[in-house]
Amino acid sequence: MSSNTKITPSSLSKKDLPWQIEWDNDKCSFCGQCTSVCPMKAIKMSVSRKRMMNLSLGSGVKPSNSYETFQTIMQNTTSENACIGCAMCTQVCENHAIMPVKSDEPSKLAYHVNQGGNASTRGGRRKSNTPGVLDQIKFLRISMLTDPALDAGRHEFEMNTLLGRVLPPEENIKLLKENGWIPPVREIYPLVIGGMSFGALSPTMWEGLQMGVSYLNEEMGMPVRMCTGEGGCPPRLLRSKFLKYVILQIASGYFGWDEIIRSIPEMVVDPCAIEIKYGQGAKPGDGGLLMWHKVNKLIAAIRGVPEGISLPSPPTHQTKYSIEEAVAKMIQSMSMAWGFRVPVYPKISASSTALAVLNNIARNPYAAGLAIDGEDGGTGAAYSVSMNHMGHPIASSIRDSYLTLTKLGKQNEIPLFGGGGIGKNGNLAANAAALIMLGASGIQIGKYVMQAAAGCIGSEKDRCNICNVGKCPKGITSQDPRLYRRLSPEKVAERVVDFYLSFDMEIRKIIAPLGRSTSLPIGMSDAVGINDYHAAKRLNIKYVV
Amino acid sequence: MSSNQFYEISGKEEGIRLESIKLEDKIQSAVENGHRSLEINAFGQHGIGGRLWKAADEKINIKITGHPGQRIGSMGFPNTTIEVMGPASDDVGWLNTGAEITIHGNATNGVANAMAQGKVYVGGNLGSRCMTMTKRNPSFDPPELWVLGSVGDFFGEFMAGGIAVICGVSPQTPDNVLGYKPLVGMVGGKVFVRGPFNGYSKSDAKLIPLEDEDWNWLTENIQVYLEKINRPELLEKLTDRSKWQLIRSLSPQEKITVSRRTISDFRINVWDKELGNGGLIGDLTTADRSQVPLITTGNLRRSVPVWENKKYMAPCEASCPTGIPVQQRWSLIRDGLFEEAVDMSLEYTPFPSTVCGYLCPNLCMGGCTRNKSLMKPVDVKMLGKSSVTAKTPDFPKPDDRKIAIIGGGPAGISVAWQLKLAGHDATIYDASEQLGGKISKMIPKSRIPEDVLLAEINRVNDVIPHKHVEDDLTIEDINRLKKENDFVVFATGAQKPRMIPVPGKERLISTNEFLVRAKADDITPGKHVVIIGAGNVGCDVATEAHRLGSEKITLIDVQEPAAFGIERDEAEEVGAKFMWPCFTKEITEEGVLLTSGKTLKADTVVISIGDVPDISFVPESVEIERGFIKVDRNFKTSDKKIFAIGDIVKPGLLTDSIGAGRVAANRITEILAGKESEISEVKKIDINRVSLEYYNPRLDAFDDINHCGDDCASCGSCRDCGICVQACPQTAIARVDKGKDFEYTVDDNKCIACGFCAGACPCGIWDLVPNKPLG
Repeated sequence: MSSNTKITPSSLSKKDLPWQIEWDNDKCSFCGQCTSVCPMKAIKMSVSRKRMMNLSLGSGVKPSNSYETFQTIMQNTTSENACIGCAMCTQVCENHAIMPVKSDEPSKLAYHVNQGGNASTRGGRRKSNTPGVLDQIKFLRISMLTDPALDAGRHEFEMNTLLGRVLPPEENIKLLKENGWIPPVREIYPLVIGGMSFGALSPTMWEGLQMGVSYLNEEMGMPVRMCTGEGGCPPRLLRSKFLKYVILQIASGYFGWDEIIRSIPEMVVDPCAIEIKYGQGAKPGDGGLLMWHKVNKLIAAIRGVPEGISLPSPPTHQTKYSIEEAVAKMIQSMSMAWGFRVPVYPKISASSTALAVLNNIARNPYAAGLAIDGEDGGTGAAYSVSMNHMGHPIASSIRDSYLTLTKLGKQNEIPLFGGGGIGKNGNLAANAAALIMLGASGIQIGKYVMQAAAGCIGSEKDRCNICNVGKCPKGITSQDPRLYRRLSPEKVAERVVDFYLSFDMEIRKIIAPLGRSTSLPIGMSDAVGINDYHAAKRLNIKYVV
Repeated sequence: MSSNQFYEISGKEEGIRLESIKLEDKIQSAVENGHRSLEINAFGQHGIGGRLWKAADEKINIKITGHPGQRIGSMGFPNTTIEVMGPASDDVGWLNTGAEITIHGNATNGVANAMAQGKVYVGGNLGSRCMTMTKRNPSFDPPELWVLGSVGDFFGEFMAGGIAVICGVSPQTPDNVLGYKPLVGMVGGKVFVRGPFNGYSKSDAKLIPLEDEDWNWLTENIQVYLEKINRPELLEKLTDRSKWQLIRSLSPQEKITVSRRTISDFRINVWDKELGNGGLIGDLTTADRSQVPLITTGNLRRSVPVWENKKYMAPCEASCPTGIPVQQRWSLIRDGLFEEAVDMSLEYTPFPSTVCGYLCPNLCMGGCTRNKSLMKPVDVKMLGKSSVTAKTPDFPKPDDRKIAIIGGGPAGISVAWQLKLAGHDATIYDASEQLGGKISKMIPKSRIPEDVLLAEINRVNDVIPHKHVEDDLTIEDINRLKKENDFVVFATGAQKPRMIPVPGKERLISTNEFLVRAKADDITPGKHVVIIGAGNVGCDVATEAHRLGSEKITLIDVQEPAAFGIERDEAEEVGAKFMWPCFTKEITEEGVLLTSGKTLKADTVVISIGDVPDISFVPESVEIERGFIKVDRNFKTSDKKIFAIGDIVKPGLLTDSIGAGRVAANRITEILAGKESEISEVKKIDINRVSLEYYNPRLDAFDDINHCGDDCASCGSCRDCGICVQACPQTAIARVDKGKDFEYTVDDNKCIACGFCAGACPCGIWDLVPNKPLG
């Protein structure tokens, strides 16, 4: 193909792309696997020509030229075929002949991903080059002959947390007398798999996660819970004993809820809880859209819609006009559905307005808690601008909320669940412990689960992040059987078990030296410090250098 | 001094308890002074009986009465034997390195903590965290702890060696002689236990069968133990092998493989059992969800290769208004079928040599893919010139469908030729005696050899009936022809010169008149000639004027001259000058007076700013637009029986007229057959699919027709080179012989959709398209 073309403003060279394919002719066996596996058709076999000049002076020798045609593995430079750095080519290459390499300067593609006036969308997390505040928090309080000397390996720890409204005894007695009811409370493992819908995730991924969660409960005695996200819940799960490990999510699209309601009379156990989603940390203030081409027969069946239509989840719930109304009305409705036996709590994006929501919840005894999702949360699809620039960090949002509760004297009453980038740099237990000590009763994780349990290779530095287009090379977020069948539900389940067990050990390693074994160190902020003065001041924790 | 006699040391002096430091001093001094048997009446002092290295290898016996403090025999040496006559406090035998310690009662917590060698015999029960962190140094015998009753909680934590024997006689905790959570973190040693217990850390230790060797060791040593604690009567009771169990630590290898239920087992026996066959969504889909590898074949490929031979038009064909598939002619040349390649042209044009070989600017070559890489396009003129020998095809016997064609120029001849080929009765009505119109009358002889033109005109004359019409046609004539014929086609061209409204315009001579007269050598233009309108026709005028003796020839135009190609080159060669912008004010006797005031001297002034059609014969039913006849894309006019082609529709090239004739003829044939319009929607190939890298880019000229054939990229038409077969890493592509034709096919069960076929194909035949959606 001739490179002699008329250029357009969006004509880019290999140098301008975020990822450059390094290919070694000497090692390549031309087996075709790299071009076959590439999700973006970013590479192709191409024909090239080499000119050999024989330009020398000498008697009897005429200067001459000759040409040789040869084949190469070439990188496409169109924006729709730009390499995403997933390195599946590297994965399949037997000879280590090919690998994408991150450009040594900012990509020029960023200026051209808006073709046709369409704002860029993607999956993943916000871009980031720096460690988060949670990564910088250190655990300072270590029992040195002071607190009981505990050993993470041999001592027993109460690792569970409470999800539900834990009212003071006198209030509970009063409620019992007056209404014959006290708020339901669940004892659960503090690390919750946050809402990722059946649809955003592939069927194999979703089943693998649920299977892993069930295994942890049934075989390991760990009361781990997983939220469905907004996309309904498979009918079989609704009617199984595993439903108690499931937090059902209702969000602005209300997808799949007719099936959930129909199955209530047939449920053999209650679900763990109901999460009412008002916001998502990755795209606060924005809704979701499952494109029509992902709404295949299976997704349509689970969501209770016809095949092949786009499914928008609006940024807001249509029938709620105030915090009071939203909180009261929704919590009442959802509580009523299960005879007030199931905890119901809202989930919001971390925001400078989070405290207003919290104050309302504090006044409503039916509210089981509050989940807050911070800016570093992941998503299957969002506008890049929302993902990269909108939202509020989770650390200060949880901290503010917790300190507000302490002022109200309700810090042991309303559990706060924090999520959004927990473990984004791999430090899951440390991040979780830090957030718990800042005041969270539990942690929600999503993207980390995809990374640890399914090998998601998306990153905060522009790698992959094509969850939104259904081409996930690992089969995690695709509805295409040709891709999702790359993923084995059993292997996902096994990895869920692995990372939960290792998390459990790591979190013990952090809290054992505190001398705490009878309850999680929720809000035990004297145990943590940070070497950033302003962060310390803002979070009201020790500044240490 | 006799070693049997005990040297007494009291832990009190004058009724006051000695501090540990002082008692230690007394004990060490006594040993230093040669005492080897000491009786110590203890009052809670720390660490009694340890560290007695001063006796070297000589045995030391220590009897402790009273109330010893913590850590009896700590850091005890192998020479030391300690006997505590009552119970003991915490940490008996702490960091023991060889002492033998007997306790005739209970001991509290931490007994034998970190013991490495030596023995601790206890005649009662123990408190918590005993036998913890014990070790075995391979150079010494393992440490031993013997307990008559039971042990407290957290026994044997991090035990890294040694042997513990728990006899379970009158245990303090009869239901559980091993206490709560024993053996957590155990990595070495073994524990003999007699009596009930509630488990132990299974991730660190395991119960093993009591083999003879262990049993023999136990029965042999238990006698010693019972004698030490003065309970020999228990021997029989404690040598009932069936009551004993043995626990040993797991090896690191065993720890790694500590098994939990496999996920597969869980899936089958818990998950699927609860949810039903097919698990979570088994009720919603029966589609196969089993795991597939990254590289797949068959239906599991995300893309599939397709052999799109002739699906797209080559750029040459797409550029040719006549629509000649030039690439197919080169393909025939490559196959050695020269005659077929030449003859084929007559299916598309009656003038393959005159036009393609001489008069056409060869838009096919302009469109040639090779231009993209700045390579010389394949030379169609060579093939065109050769086509003068093309064999007239066999025309079918005409049917009774009659078509009258008005005008015998290239457009009229083309439509008649095509209609005759289609088997219809087409007749040309023309004012000239000779067919050919412009081609035969106006094109200068320098542009085309007369014999070539004559040969092609004759070929046409042989086939197409021609009626010479002497009078100008009228609307009535047309209406009559309409009645007599199925269709009438207007192809009279544009022959009325466009004029400029300036004084003296009557002095102008039109291009058409000039060229016709020039060709007949019937005009003498004089020394100075000015041509108003510097297009290609103006250039023809200039060339002819020069031939006829003019010396100073000037072409003027109001804008940059549009002339190009061979016409302009030839005009410039004869010294014609181009001037612009020039605006004519008047034509005078001297020549052309410009608005600038300048006069261009001229003997002859030729007006060459285009021609307009004569539409005086066109009936009202035919719509006119700006002086030309309005037609649809099939060249049908608003009168459904009348078609119009050529310059009467729009001024254009010869090839435009010939192409229009072909299109109109096809449509007429379709209508006569009662068919819908089938204008081919074949698209031009994306030339980026074609690989020019296979050809020599330094080629400056083609040696001959065969050379052209070889270097034609055959865009969109398979050249049957077999490169794809060899490029495919899976040997999935095969060539299938189909007699005269052939096909390349893909074995779906071998293909991995790498796209190498598409990448390597010189002609752009292969494409990789998305596979049909699954699920």
